[in-house]
Amino acid sequence: MKKNHVPYFSPPLIKRPVAAGVITFLFFTALGFFILWQRFHLALKEEEQETSAISNLIEQNIEQSLAYSYAAALSLALQVDKDGNVSDFEEIAGPIVDNNPNIDAVQMVPGGVIKKVYPFEEHKDALNYNILQDPEVNKEAFKAIDTKKMYFAGPLELKQGGIAVIGRLPVFIKNEFWGFSAVIIYLDNLLEQSGIKHLGASKFAIQFGKVNPETGTETFFLPEIANMGNSYSEEITLPEGDWRIYVAPLNNHHILEAQFPIAILLFFVSVFLGWLAYLLARQPARLQVLLENQAKEMAKNELKFQTIFNQAAIGMAWVDSKTGRLLQSNKKLQEQLGYSNEELVNMEYSKISHPLDIQENKRLMAELSSNKRRGYSQQNRLAKKNGDYIWTKLTVSPLWETGEEPTTHIALVEDISARVQAQQKLKEKERRFRALVENSHDVILILNKEGQLTYFSPALKRITGYNDEELLQINVASLLHQDDLENIREQMKFIYHNPGIPCAGAVARAKTKNGKWLWAESTITNCIKEENINGFIINLRDITEKKEAEMHLKNSYQMLMEKNARLLNFSYIVSHNLRSHTTNLESLLHLYNTSCCEQERKTYMNLLFTVCNALNNSLYDLNDVVSIHTDLNLKVEELAVNTCLKKALEVLKSQIKSLNARVVVKVPEEMVVAFNAAYMESVLLNFLTNALRYRDTRRTPEMVVHGYLENSKWVLEISDNGIGIDMKKNSGKLFGLYKTFTKREGSRGIGLFMARNQIHAMGGEVTVKSKVGVGTTFKIMFK
Amino acid sequence: MMGKRSICVIDDDEIYQMIMHKVIGRVGFFDEKKRYCSAVSALQDFQDLEKPLPDVILLDINMPEVDGWQFIENMRKLRPGFTEETRIYLVTSSIAHSDIEKTRTYQEIHEFVSKPVSMAKLKEIGESLFIKKQ
Repeated sequence: MKKNHVPYFSPPLIKRPVAAGVITFLFFTALGFFILWQRFHLALKEEEQETSAISNLIEQNIEQSLAYSYAAALSLALQVDKDGNVSDFEEIAGPIVDNNPNIDAVQMVPGGVIKKVYPFEEHKDALNYNILQDPEVNKEAFKAIDTKKMYFAGPLELKQGGIAVIGRLPVFIKNEFWGFSAVIIYLDNLLEQSGIKHLGASKFAIQFGKVNPETGTETFFLPEIANMGNSYSEEITLPEGDWRIYVAPLNNHHILEAQFPIAILLFFVSVFLGWLAYLLARQPARLQVLLENQAKEMAKNELKFQTIFNQAAIGMAWVDSKTGRLLQSNKKLQEQLGYSNEELVNMEYSKISHPLDIQENKRLMAELSSNKRRGYSQQNRLAKKNGDYIWTKLTVSPLWETGEEPTTHIALVEDISARVQAQQKLKEKERRFRALVENSHDVILILNKEGQLTYFSPALKRITGYNDEELLQINVASLLHQDDLENIREQMKFIYHNPGIPCAGAVARAKTKNGKWLWAESTITNCIKEENINGFIINLRDITEKKEAEMHLKNSYQMLMEKNARLLNFSYIVSHNLRSHTTNLESLLHLYNTSCCEQERKTYMNLLFTVCNALNNSLYDLNDVVSIHTDLNLKVEELAVNTCLKKALEVLKSQIKSLNARVVVKVPEEMVVAFNAAYMESVLLNFLTNALRYRDTRRTPEMVVHGYLENSKWVLEISDNGIGIDMKKNSGKLFGLYKTFTKREGSRGIGLFMARNQIHAMGGEVTVKSKVGVGTTFKIMFK
Repeated sequence: MMGKRSICVIDDDEIYQMIMHKVIGRVGFFDEKKRYCSAVSALQDFQDLEKPLPDVILLDINMPEVDGWQFIENMRKLRPGFTEETRIYLVTSSIAHSDIEKTRTYQEIHEFVSKPVSMAKLKEIGESLFIKKQ
């Protein structure tokens, strides 16, 4: 991790971008203008060539015109004979002038005096004009004579009017000057013929000038044109008249002007290129600055990471992935392992790994090297210098890009010994609690909201007999006893609305697999909101035995209470019924003693006998009552109720007949009960007799005896249509001893008392339903 | 000479009735004696408001159909304020504490008397009646 300076190439200009820009600008401007200059000259040349061509054309045209004039003058000269006479001037001049558009007029000038003209009319004013004597024009005439050649004078103002050139051919007869044959061409016509007027009239300026042969000064005949002299011009020299024709481009500025837009464009292009060059030159400098900044940033980051690496609260190592040797370790790792950095560097990581963890670590490392994964985490034990092991969470991250060859990696080492130990402790604790729960005699359940068991301790299987699968599928509510459901539902409602509060004392019966009822007492806690539970925790205890004992106790208590009631009744009988006899005896004896009348005494004696008899009967009755409850060796047999009933009806046969009573017996043959035979006879006789005794005299007595099963127990109902009993008044004393409700004959108040006692002694029960004036129904429920 | 008084015995024990008849005769306070073998027949007579009630009623507790207690309850309905006309003595062979207790809940009962009713007791009843009259 060394600081690196990237070397870069920097030519001098690049260091001075402004100079580079300016130079580039100048260079391109110069180049541009050079080309432009070339172009300009090329254009000028082109124009010169054009001008030259035009001037040549003009020259040819004029020369041709002059040639015609020469020919015409010569033709005229030939008309001069040896004597100097001109013959047939008109005949020849006419066709010459008329047929030649170049010639406007012809003259014959013998001895310098104009003698003949054609056309006559226009030029007659010139007749007899001696040109040789006119100093203004004679110089040119003399020049023709001197050179002996045709010379064109003018342009000059004609005597007859108009500006024209006059071509004079000197005619010599025998070397003696005779005169001139002259041709007049109006200047306009000459210019016309030359083509000056049409050829490039718009583009070129043309000037027609004559050099004074004497003075050498030049006179111009066409209107002056500005700048004519400054600019380039083509010159045609015509010696025949010492004329000069100048042709110049009318406006040669346009060529320069045409270059202006290009020049401006060129300028801007150069500026642009210069700017570009400036930018280009600046680029490396900018990059340099950027590079430096980044290098600074990197250096800062490196420092930061180095600090993080060293100061991290987590152990870190930089490891060579190929050799597995540590390249660098941080302080924390050194602390964790007890080695110094020097000791750790170059150490192979496998050396400090636990032998049991190294295989897995190597496998993961191999996957990392082959790029199958990008980093991994592992619980790994590492050896300290002192040989102890610490539990660590090892996190490895590669420092090479995906697909590249493995280079180095960073290993993060987090000491999780405390956590692992805590987990182990937790596990042990859980095992302990689990053992507590699972070996408890009590049952522990978790019931979800749907009534499904999500957990149950093994004790549940033991007490219910269901297996695991059945218990997991079963709906707990379906196991509960019908009579307990409402109660449990109420309690569950309370528990549901009071989460976290253990609710003890819910008691219910649940059906076991073998169909028996299991009494269970539970403590229920609503932990629906609690994670990992999400249900009701039910602590359940099998209290069947306790419950049975309780019921047994209850039964015993009830029996005792009944016995106590009987004893009370008995004591009452003793105190009341027996005493009533004794008080009578006492009173009678007193009367007897105090009576003196023999007759009266006899009566008292008889009464004493009666009372004694009654006393005796009472004692017998009491004996019967006592014997029912004291005879422990009573024989209990399986008795067919139907048979017993037939026997009893047989006994009452005559009574039934005499009362014309109707007896209906609906007792199934299979009705067999465990009962003492004598008691059965007594019970049946008692109820049947009762029915007959308390008949309603207004209607035919009717008895219905009905035997049936109720809750799998035999029941015998004996109903009559007798007078009935006011149940409101008498329900309490119906079965009491010596309780009579009517003054009917034979009512002793002992029958029902005895019957009930006998039924009780056989473990049965008897109830009564009655309505005054309708009848009575006794219901005997057998054990 | 004190005025003659009427007495009534309501009891289903015929022997006792006979004894009482003799005893009342011997005591002699009561010139008018009536006996009912059941409370039902006594109530039938007493519901006629025209007829005056006897001065003294000796009432048994244990009787078929209507017992002594029920008799008093019926009387409350038939003749409200009957205690102005008569004194009810509850005469019973019972010496049960429960019966004595129950007597206290009936304001109409003048006294609880245990059988046998002696002549002395009858005399006392007669005399107390006389004192009250004076």
